[in-house]
Amino acid sequence: MSSPPPTGAGTVPTADDGPPPEAFAAAMAGLRRMGPARLTALLAAVPPEEAWRRLCAGAAWSDVGVVQALGRAGGELIAAWQAAARDVDVAGLWRRTLDLGVGVTRRGSPGYPVVLAADVEPPAVLFHQGDPGLLDAPRVAIVGTRRCSATGRGVAFELGRDLAAAGVSIVSGLAAGIDGAAHRGALAAGGSPPVGVVGCGHDVVYPAHQHELWRSVAEVGLLLSEAPPGARPERWRFPARNRIIAALADVVVVVESHARGGSLHTVDEADRRGRDVFAVPGSVRNPAAAGTNALLAEGRAPACSADDVLVALDLGTGRRRRSADARAEPDPADREVLEQVGWEAATLDQLIVRTGRDLGGLAPALDRLCDAGWVRRAGGWYERVADQGMIL
Amino acid sequence: MLASAQSATLLGVEGRPVRVEVHVSRGLPSFTVVGLPDTTCREARDRVRAALLSTDLAWPMCRVTVNLAPPGLRKVGAGLDLAIAAALLAASEQVPAGALLARAFVGELGLDGSVRAVPGVLPLIDALAAPEVVVPEGCTVEAQLVGRHVVRPVATLGAMVGALQGLHPWPDAPEPVPPPPPPPGPDMADVRGQPVARYALEVAAAGGHHLLLVGPPGSGKTMLARRLAGLLPELSPADALEVTCIHSAAGLTLPPGGLIRRPPFRAPHHGASAVSLVGGGSHSLQPGEISLAHHGVLFLDELGEFEPAVLDNLRQPLEEGVIRVARAMAKVTFPARVLLVGAMNPCPCGEGTVPGGCRCTPSARARYARRLSGPLLDRFDLRVEVGRPDVAELLSEVPGEPTAAVAARVAAVRALASERGVAGNAQLPAWRLDGVAALDRPATRLVERTLRTGRLTGRGLGRVRRVARTIADLGGHDGALAVEHVSAALVLRAEPTFLDGRAA
Repeated sequence: MSSPPPTGAGTVPTADDGPPPEAFAAAMAGLRRMGPARLTALLAAVPPEEAWRRLCAGAAWSDVGVVQALGRAGGELIAAWQAAARDVDVAGLWRRTLDLGVGVTRRGSPGYPVVLAADVEPPAVLFHQGDPGLLDAPRVAIVGTRRCSATGRGVAFELGRDLAAAGVSIVSGLAAGIDGAAHRGALAAGGSPPVGVVGCGHDVVYPAHQHELWRSVAEVGLLLSEAPPGARPERWRFPARNRIIAALADVVVVVESHARGGSLHTVDEADRRGRDVFAVPGSVRNPAAAGTNALLAEGRAPACSADDVLVALDLGTGRRRRSADARAEPDPADREVLEQVGWEAATLDQLIVRTGRDLGGLAPALDRLCDAGWVRRAGGWYERVADQGMIL
Repeated sequence: MLASAQSATLLGVEGRPVRVEVHVSRGLPSFTVVGLPDTTCREARDRVRAALLSTDLAWPMCRVTVNLAPPGLRKVGAGLDLAIAAALLAASEQVPAGALLARAFVGELGLDGSVRAVPGVLPLIDALAAPEVVVPEGCTVEAQLVGRHVVRPVATLGAMVGALQGLHPWPDAPEPVPPPPPPPGPDMADVRGQPVARYALEVAAAGGHHLLLVGPPGSGKTMLARRLAGLLPELSPADALEVTCIHSAAGLTLPPGGLIRRPPFRAPHHGASAVSLVGGGSHSLQPGEISLAHHGVLFLDELGEFEPAVLDNLRQPLEEGVIRVARAMAKVTFPARVLLVGAMNPCPCGEGTVPGGCRCTPSARARYARRLSGPLLDRFDLRVEVGRPDVAELLSEVPGEPTAAVAARVAAVRALASERGVAGNAQLPAWRLDGVAALDRPATRLVERTLRTGRLTGRGLGRVRRVARTIADLGGHDGALAVEHVSAALVLRAEPTFLDGRAA
C-alpha cells in the first residue's frame, strides 16, 4: 500500500488519551438507521464523545434539530441505538480504521474537503483512502445502470479513458456495469486518478467480484465513504452515496439508465446542486437506454464523446491525442458482413436474415471479424466494436 | 394328476418363458401357488376359480399345487391366469393333456370367464418357443407382430376349452387390416423465422446430436422441439419391433396396426423422479422415459427446473445408449438410445437474450447456472440461443420450409452415416474421426486458434468434428472438413449466455 498516512485532523492518538473524537463519530456512523441527517443533527448538538455517551446511556435528546431528525420513531431509535452501542468497541474500531489506512475527517475540521463543506447536505463524517488532494482537479461523475449493454459498457470505458487523459478526475460509485467500466477506463488512461464513492465500509468490497478494481482505485486514486469499516452495503446507503457523487462532480454524465434507475436519483441530486447533467444517447430498442433517452427528451445535453463534456468544463479538447485505428481492414466480403452487424446488438438469426448468407458462410466471416477486433460476441448477440483499446 | 402349460412373464422390457405346473392330489381342498409370484399373480387362484365356475367347469375339490418354473424368477401380473387355468383343467382331466403340448397361453381371466388383454404381449410372445399361442382377442394384432407363431385369439375361457376339447375349431384370427397412415405431426412450415434454430434442428436430426435450446419464454423452443421427431427417418423393421416391445411392456397404447413405425417423442414434466426417467420401480421393473424414447426424441422442457440429481442420472445412458437398472431381485438392461433435446430459459427472469434486458442479479444467474452440471451440459453438441422472432416474421404469409423437404435431406445424411456403419454421425467412434472427419489446412488452423483461446476443450473437439461432419454432409460436401463447416459447428456449440462468466 502506497497510500499516504491518515490525515484526519486532530487524530493524533496517544496511548493514554483514549480514542479521539473521530473514533466516536465513526462508531456512531456505523449504527443501523443512522442516516446522514440524523448523524449530522446529533453531532451538531454536542461533541462526539458526549453524543456517544448519551447514546450508550439511552438518554433523551431535547435539542430541536435532533428531535426533528429522529422523527416520530425517536424513542424506539434511542432504545435500538443504546442496545447496539453496547456491543461496539470504540477503541477497537478506531484501531481497525487506522490499520486499514483509512483516514477520518469530521465536518468543520481542517482536512474536510472544501467542495463538500459547501454542500447543501454534507456528510457529517467522511472516511477516505488515498489522496484527498485529488479533489482539486476538475471532476466528472460517470454513472449508469449495473444491467448495461456491451455498448454502454464500452462507451463508459471510452469516456472514462478520454476524460482522465484530459486531466479530469472520474467520480463514480464502483458498482458493476457502467460505474466499473468508467473507472477501468480512467485507470487505463493513466491520466488523472479516479475518485470512487462507495456505500459501505472500505474493507467490505461490494460487489465482491470487482475487488481488483476497488483496490486499484484506492491505491492510485481516492476512495470515499460515509460508512466506517465493517459497515454492510445496506440499501439506504446507496441513495446517500449518490448525493455525494452529485456533490463532488462538476458535471454528471449518465451513460445508460433504465426507465426507473438509481442513476436518475443521482440526476435529481445533481439538479438540487445546480450541476450540469449530460446523457449518452442510446438505441430506442435498448431497455437499458430508456432512462437516458428520457433525460435527453427533458432537454439535457447529449454526451456523444468526451469532447462534449470537456467543452462544458471549459477545458478545450486539444489535450487529447487521437490514435489511428490499428485494426486490419477486413476484406470486402467481411466488410459487407460488418456493415450488417451494425452498432446495435444483433442476434445470429438477425444476421442470417440481413446478410442472406447461411450459417456456413456467415460463421467464418464473424470469426475473422471477432479475431481482428471489429466485432464482439457478448452473450447471445454480436456487436460492432467502435475503437481499439476497449478491454473487458 | 400332473399337467403343465407354457407361458411367459415380463422382466423389464423382455419376456421370460415360464412353465406352469399343476399338481392335483387327494387331500384337504386347497390351492397353493409357489414359484415367486407377486401379489397379482398369487391372486390368480380366486380369478381362475370364479372363471371356471362361471364357465360351468368343475373346480377340483382336491389339494392343488401350482408351481411357476423357474422358481427363482419373479412372476408379475395376471398374464399367467390363462396358463394356470389350462394346466388345472388338464390335471383334473377336463381337457386332454395332449392339447397343451406345443401350445402356450398368455392372458388374464375375468370372474365371468372372459379373457382379457395384458400389457407386454409382444415381448411375452417373443419369448415363447411353442409354435402356437393362445392370446386374448384384443391382443391379436400385437401377437402377430412377432410372426413366428400361429396366433389363436380367444374371447372367453369357454371358447378356449371347447377348442382344446376338439368340440369346435379355433376361432379365426381377424384378417389383418392395413394400418391407416399415421396422422401428420406438427410441420416445420409453421415455424416462422428462427433460421439458426431451424438449422440446428436439421443438424440434430441428421446426425443424432443432442440439442439444447436456450431462449426467453415465448420464443418457440417447445414448438421447435416438437417438430424434431417429424424430421427423423422412419424406424427400420428391427428398430420398430424393439420400440414396440418397450411400449408394449410399459402398457402404453399402441397405434392401430400394432407396430410403432415413427420415432417416439417423449416429453416428461420437470417434476419427474429419477425412476420415472431412467426406469426401475420396486415391484416390477418398468422402463423409464429415456427407454420409452428409444430411437426417438426425449424432450426435457424447462431443463433448469428438473432436479439436478435426477438429470445427472441421464449422463451414463446418454453415453452408452443403454441403462442398467439393478434391484435386489433382478438386474435388467433397458435400451436407451435417444436424441436428447433440452429447452431452458437463459436466466431466472428469462430475458437474458436481449442486451440489457435481464433483471437477474449476478448471484441469481450463478445459482441458475449451477443447476446444470458441466458434464451434462457437455453432452449437448448443439447449444443454440433462440430469440423471439421479429413481428414481421410472425405475421409473414411465407411459410417456412416444410418438414418433408427437410426430412429428405436428413434421410440422405443418415444414409451416408449408415454407410459408415453408424446410425448417425454423433455415434462415430473417436478412432474413426481422423479418417471420416479429417480437417483441411485452414480448418486445422481455426481449431488450433480456438483451442488456444480456451473456447474449446480437447473433449469438445471430437464433438465439434462430428457436428462439422454432419454439416458438411448436409451441404453435400465429402472429403476433408473446411473452415465453414468447423466454424458453423463452433457457432452452434456456443456457450449459453448464463455461462459466459461475466458477472455484469
